[in-house]
Amino acid sequence: MDIRKDKGVLKWVLIVICFVFLSVFLLLPLVYIIATAFRAGIQGYIKAVTDEYALKATWLTIRATLWAVGINTFFGISAAWCLTKFAFKGKKLLSTFIDLPVTVSPIIAGLIYVLTFGRQGPLYGFLDSHGIQIIFAVPGIVLATIFVTFPFISRELIPVLTAQGTDEEEAAALMGARTFTIFRKVTFPHIKWALLYGIVLCTARAMGEFGAVSVLSGHLRGKTNTLPLYIELLYQGYDFTGAFAASSILVIMAVIILILRLVIEQKGKKEIDINR
Amino acid sequence: MSETTEKTVEQIENPASYVELKGINKHFKDFHATKDANISISKGKLVALLGPSGSGKTTILRMIAGLEHPDSGEIWIDGKLVNNIPGSERGIGFVFQSYALFRYMNVYDNIAFGLRIKKVPEKDIKKRVTELLELISCEGLEKRYPSQLSGGQRQRVAFARALAPNPHILLLDEPFAAVDAKVRLELRTWLKEMITKLQITSIFVTHDQDEAIEVADEIIVTNQGRVEQIGTPQELYSNPASPFVATFIGNSIQVKNFDRFRFFEKPEEDVTAILRPEFVSVYKKGEKVQYSKSVEEAVVEDIIFRGSNLEIKVRLHDNLISSVRSINEPAIEIGETVDVFIFRLFVIFKDRIELFYNRSLNNETVII
Repeated sequence: MDIRKDKGVLKWVLIVICFVFLSVFLLLPLVYIIATAFRAGIQGYIKAVTDEYALKATWLTIRATLWAVGINTFFGISAAWCLTKFAFKGKKLLSTFIDLPVTVSPIIAGLIYVLTFGRQGPLYGFLDSHGIQIIFAVPGIVLATIFVTFPFISRELIPVLTAQGTDEEEAAALMGARTFTIFRKVTFPHIKWALLYGIVLCTARAMGEFGAVSVLSGHLRGKTNTLPLYIELLYQGYDFTGAFAASSILVIMAVIILILRLVIEQKGKKEIDINR
Repeated sequence: MSETTEKTVEQIENPASYVELKGINKHFKDFHATKDANISISKGKLVALLGPSGSGKTTILRMIAGLEHPDSGEIWIDGKLVNNIPGSERGIGFVFQSYALFRYMNVYDNIAFGLRIKKVPEKDIKKRVTELLELISCEGLEKRYPSQLSGGQRQRVAFARALAPNPHILLLDEPFAAVDAKVRLELRTWLKEMITKLQITSIFVTHDQDEAIEVADEIIVTNQGRVEQIGTPQELYSNPASPFVATFIGNSIQVKNFDRFRFFEKPEEDVTAILRPEFVSVYKKGEKVQYSKSVEEAVVEDIIFRGSNLEIKVRLHDNLISSVRSINEPAIEIGETVDVFIFRLFVIFKDRIELFYNRSLNNETVII
């Protein structure tokens, strides 16, 4: 009985700690962003949000995110699939490499591409002669976003696929199913929710990426400025209303993602309950 | 053309064997999982691959299924060399140890899967699935997911799924390992009945000798990657081909100094003998015994209640020997001095195993 009582006290202490922490570090700043964004009144906010450059930055952010998420979904599924269902040499090495972007600073990620595709880079001559520009252009931004977000999807899938084992696939193969049919009918239902969850995480991270993109973008207003870069630009120019208004766009996008995440988690849980 | 000729030759050479493995070797990195295995299985037989864990029995099964590929040797099925034929075209049904039912498909879709892959018309699929559900007495469970089934039901659905495309051979990997003891006994009987009814050549893997002896027509004993012996349960029991089989089958103990037992002698110095409970009788002092002149005295050390009978352990010349006694016979207690009679034992020579009988059996027969 005493133990239960202790746990009751502990529970409340922990709850209070969490709430105080979240209020100070998350809620307060969020309220402040909204408040500052509306300091110049609704008109000022709408003007700042519908500013030509703000819209272009938003559009670029969305585009870069879609590209990065699309490519990482494909790569993530491939990587998770080959790491869990096949045995080959260098498997451990590959698995370690996938985690690299999490450990490397985004600035370095940006610099890597500048060095590879920039004027001093070994590929510059070839790319330039074909009229392809990567750094200080949209492809560079997409590349940087892909780099920083590429472990997100595969890392969600690998544990699920490992837990599932290979028996079901073998059973399907023995009945004559082809690889793609096996993936579609047997493997995919297992990873569906993990994949969606991974996509959500990847999207959230891709939208907010600043460091690597900052190195590669070249900060061309209306051309290569993503939302986070645009916000920084306005902030440096002491345009607080503009900066915070643009921030609020990112915040709204993040909230949408958060709600999606919640829905996915709930639905996925329900289905897992049925199948456990 | 040459392949057809080969086929005919093969069939003439060995008309009885339906599944045949010739000189099969398989390595997993440094581990030699299958060592020069030669197996021949006739059509319609229910065969057990029996051995301790790690003895290579599952590897053999998976090679027959095409899930693993031998490093060397040939696998023949129905007169065809199948080494390079994928598992899906070998006409086999496979029941996995964990059943491997598709967790995101209901029972109906699970059983129908193989038929849908084969592009069987949906109408015929329905007929076949209904027929199979009836066979496994799972009517009404079509809409359930595997997680909503009991262990026994899952096992039977896995069995039905493997049978759906009408395979010629059924392979089962430890089919009873994942269910509890009572269900296991039911399933054993059920499976034997099913397979006998369907007349399908079946091979199942097990580490449980009781299971193999009860269910199988023929048993292939494996040990450390080698096939030790192939034979009927009776043959394995009465004529073990190797020391391993002699000890693995039956509840055996090894005896070194068996020359000290009355009416037994050692033919060579360094041979040991194997003694099973059914070779030994234990009698209460004063009990009327057929071979009363030939018994030896021993002290009871332990009595284990086995439900339908008792296992009596006695100490005889430094060996702890087991014997089975009916619960209907006069009770024996621990510490009691009893009379022991050993009927026979297996003597293991370097190259063979011989059955030695108690010499007094001969003498008394002669006298009568």
